Amino acid sequence: MLEEALGHLVRGIVDNPEDVMVSERSQRRGQCLDVRVNPDDMGRVIGRAGRTASSLRTVITALNDGRGVRIDFLDAAER
Amino acid sequence: MTDDQVQTETEVGSSESTEQVTKSGSLLEREGDAAADYLEGLLDIADLDGDIDIDVEGNRAMVSVVEVRAGDLGHLVGTKGEVLDALQELTRLAATRETGERSRLMLDVAGFRAARRAALTELAKAAIAEAQATSAPVSMEPMTPFERKVVHDAVAEAGLVSESEGEEPRRCVVIRVS
Repeated sequence: MLEEALGHLVRGIVDNPEDVMVSERSQRRGQCLDVRVNPDDMGRVIGRAGRTASSLRTVITALNDGRGVRIDFLDAAER
Repeated sequence: MTDDQVQTETEVGSSESTEQVTKSGSLLEREGDAAADYLEGLLDIADLDGDIDIDVEGNRAMVSVVEVRAGDLGHLVGTKGEVLDALQELTRLAATRETGERSRLMLDVAGFRAARRAALTELAKAAIAEAQATSAPVSMEPMTPFERKVVHDAVAEAGLVSESEGEEPRRCVVIRVS
């Protein structure tokens, strides 16, 4: 559910929603979601002083019953 | 970057800044509709029940997610409204993308802001009375931009003046008789 929720939240705020991809990676310490966006949208999802990225983390953590979720933002070309 | 560490807040476009551009009713409606679509999508995915009300208050779109059962949407508010503020930020960005105009919509979830507004208005009234009685400036506790806006509005209504002083997250309203 978190992957889908994050995909929805990000697709709604970028210019190239079709390029958004979210994948889950389990780590030793909890969950990590990788979000890939079009390079032109990178600024959008980070926001000024990281404010948008921080808002995304806050909402996703809340949906995960307060358990922290790491979110990494990647350019769609990165692997 | 660590979670929840970003405290930077500019007054531009915040709930507190003075409205300078008059927005047409149809733009505010489009903003509200875009916000409702964005929020409905999220509620569906998270399997949460909520009714969405759209209203225009002054010159601002007001979008409220109302609980169907009490307590259902507490997660989307957070203990001090921090999740609500984050969700409002994202919803504004979604509405801005849809209309092409910067959105300053106000989001409420489960009546959190409405209750906060009522409590703050009472606090402001007491501080206004104190300022009038003593003719000295009265400094309020640090507040979020939304909270400061509620106090500024109450002060203006009482015919006094107020301004915000200090830096986030310790920024607070100071009330003066003139």
